[in-house]
Amino acid sequence: MTTARFIWMTVLAALASLVAVGPAAAQIGGQGRHIAMQMVPETSHPAPASTVTLAFVARPEAGWHGYWKNPGEAGVPTTAHWTLPDGVTADSLQYPVPQTLMIGGIMNYVYEGPFTQFAELHIPEGLARGTELPVTAKLDYLVCTHEICVPESRTLSTVLTVGDGAVPADRRARFDRWRKALPKPLGAQATYQIAGDTFRLSVPFPQGATATDAYFFPETEGAAVYSAPQTVTREGDRLIIATKAEGDVDGAVTGVLKVGPEQGFVVTAEPGTVAADAGDGGSGERGSVWTRALIAFFGAVLGGLILNIMPCVFPILSLKALNLARAGETQAGARAEALAYTAGVVLVCVVLGAVLLALRAAGVSAGWAFQLQDPRVILFLLLLVTGIAFNLAGLFELSAPGFANRATARGSGGAFATGALAAFVATPCTGPFMGVALGAALVLPAVAALAIFAGLGLGLALPFLLIGFVPRLRAMLPKPGAWMETFRHILSVPMFLTALALAWVLGRQAGVGGMTLGLGAALLLALGLWWTGRRQMRGRVAQWAPALIAALVALGGLALVREAPAQAKTESADRLGAEPFSEQRLADLRAEGRPVFAYFTADWCLTCKVNEKAAIETQAVADAFAKANVAVLVGDWTDGDPELGRFIERHNRAGVPLYLWYDSESDAPRVLPQILTRQRLTALPGG
Amino acid sequence: MNRSLLTIFAAAASIAVTAPAAAQQIVGQPAQNFRLTDMHGKNVQLADYRGKVVVLEWNNPGCPFVQKHYKSGNMQKTQAAARADGAVWLTINSGAPGKQGYMTGKQAQDFVDTMDAHPTDYLLDPKGVVGKAYAAKTTPHMYIIDADGTLVYQGGIDDKPTADVADITTARNHVLAALDELEAGIPVSVTETRPYGCSVKYAS
Repeated sequence: MTTARFIWMTVLAALASLVAVGPAAAQIGGQGRHIAMQMVPETSHPAPASTVTLAFVARPEAGWHGYWKNPGEAGVPTTAHWTLPDGVTADSLQYPVPQTLMIGGIMNYVYEGPFTQFAELHIPEGLARGTELPVTAKLDYLVCTHEICVPESRTLSTVLTVGDGAVPADRRARFDRWRKALPKPLGAQATYQIAGDTFRLSVPFPQGATATDAYFFPETEGAAVYSAPQTVTREGDRLIIATKAEGDVDGAVTGVLKVGPEQGFVVTAEPGTVAADAGDGGSGERGSVWTRALIAFFGAVLGGLILNIMPCVFPILSLKALNLARAGETQAGARAEALAYTAGVVLVCVVLGAVLLALRAAGVSAGWAFQLQDPRVILFLLLLVTGIAFNLAGLFELSAPGFANRATARGSGGAFATGALAAFVATPCTGPFMGVALGAALVLPAVAALAIFAGLGLGLALPFLLIGFVPRLRAMLPKPGAWMETFRHILSVPMFLTALALAWVLGRQAGVGGMTLGLGAALLLALGLWWTGRRQMRGRVAQWAPALIAALVALGGLALVREAPAQAKTESADRLGAEPFSEQRLADLRAEGRPVFAYFTADWCLTCKVNEKAAIETQAVADAFAKANVAVLVGDWTDGDPELGRFIERHNRAGVPLYLWYDSESDAPRVLPQILTRQRLTALPGG
Repeated sequence: MNRSLLTIFAAAASIAVTAPAAAQQIVGQPAQNFRLTDMHGKNVQLADYRGKVVVLEWNNPGCPFVQKHYKSGNMQKTQAAARADGAVWLTINSGAPGKQGYMTGKQAQDFVDTMDAHPTDYLLDPKGVVGKAYAAKTTPHMYIIDADGTLVYQGGIDDKPTADVADITTARNHVLAALDELEAGIPVSVTETRPYGCSVKYAS
């Protein structure tokens, strides 16, 4: 009963106050206000023709909260009514990154602690110093607890005096702190799709950048159901947010993507296609994903087929095909061998694909043929290919008795091993042909991606499968004869060329020392194989001893090349001799008369990362810059450093990427476009 | 006494409607039927009013946005206008016991008297079953159901989402506008708006 009585009394009291108090009764239920609100100008002496930021610093009482500009399913945003001198104008309010607050199934977008809203005030030109500018803002806002809501109204005034725009250091520090909570411009276009009752948003976001408890706060109404849970998945360089759609919206959807406490980005999403995530959801969109997967799968099969004629695969394959023909085996035998070969190819492709996907998921920046980025793998392949080449050239025979019996060398086991080898060696050739299919594989659900890798293997194995299963084709193969020996010797030529290519790759990765080591190891192996071949010809026992010992010693080289890549890596990172950006350092370098290339980047900026990989951190640019004695400064805006933020703003950019070129003569920098090319950068010192 | 009252409400709520299939009513589709206990303890069903235009108003007397429209007389005026046209006006309170705005039948009667309000009836939905079936989010939150039982409007009472009484005179009253259009036999032009106000204080 006591509760009921209490509520009853409260209601009566509230009603009584309603009736009693006149229009000024906006502050119902309150002795005093529940949000302490203060207006702070960044400078009290703004310069003419400039912009001054006003901060509205709000401190809700414990247990009370204020609202974001889209307050969610209930609540009201802040409205500001300005009283300003002639010519002065105010922009709309900027809100910091909000929080979610679910009460009784109703989603509220709020601030439960202190928060600061900003407004930009434009001061017109032609005002004399000392002119007083009285500024008044009437703010109407809502403040609530979990139980009750109180609309408050607050009129705040200040008088600015036109001056030099200087900002006191302590105020700058406070504004810097407040500004960090504002959402930053992501600088990349997001995409959304409404399919059935699912709203799906895809935001370009580098996979290396951190995002904890990501949440999308829609500002556009009617796109997503605010109270529905959001699922967040990361697929490569994209962040996918799926939730329940509210209805249909046309045009762009804007909002704030939160990626950490008080850290978020302004996102503008255009309608488009967003792939479904690996989990469930989006049944309406399933079809299109599987269509894409199917197209990519057939693309992969075709790509695998093309791989057969690449120099790195062809010798192995043709040899295998001839082997089949030479054996003139039974139909069943041919089929078994074809299947075993296919199994070997597909298995290696799928395993490599799975490793690649796992690495991507773990955040390692890996692309297809990633295994070829390790010089140890290259050295191993170099030795392997050298051995195969010498075998084709007739230096030694694999089918020698005493080492490997005929079953493993030519039966199903042998076919499987040959297939595995072909797939492993084929990967360096995939790049240009497989780019599209593999690109699709990396953004598709894991199962679909693996299917694409399997498709690649299937394509690679297809001709051989045909030969195995269509006797007519097998009959069309030339009859075995002495010509086969010659043909084999000819096939050794592309294999030697493959070895040469691998040696070149090794040189790129591990330097001249690494390449010499690799060639020395290959030479050693060749000598061992040669010796073995001699012993085979004379029918000696332990024919394989020399080759085995030579191979073991050559493989010892694996341990030695290990150090080289680390060295090479440091070299490439420091290639430009970049230093951290500071305005002081910039001024010093300019005083020295050096041209300066300054770029501003952030871990979460995908455009920045692409530019860095494709243009800035390239050897051509490093050479061109070194020749012209260009200094390079890097500003990292990942944590939203306000000092950098101010610098960026001064160049009329809201965020990164920003590329500035200061040549040694002119005072003002040239602002370069957001998409850079190597050509544009190398041309900078000249003109 | 309090306990027995609660039991009555619980019973009323449990027989209220078939379980809400969709947590939302869609404009242009039949509005879901419901049954609630009114402030006099009598059961009222939406289907009872088939053949008449029905206005639903979500209410919480403690909410300043509700107070804006009651203390200015705007809500009462809207009620009177609607009923003069032959429409039924049901004020619904989905506040949970212990939360702001929750009222017993007696308290609701006193509220209606004190405010000189003119709803056809004041219904109590302490378990929030009907509120959630209609996805009522704020107080006030308005719904209009035409004579055929089709939902023709849902959203705010007007287009000035403030607690400032002075805004009422310049605002477009969405409910009156929709009722006029229904009266004139033309389709409702604004069928959905963003409701504004306090959140409905459902049981969590």
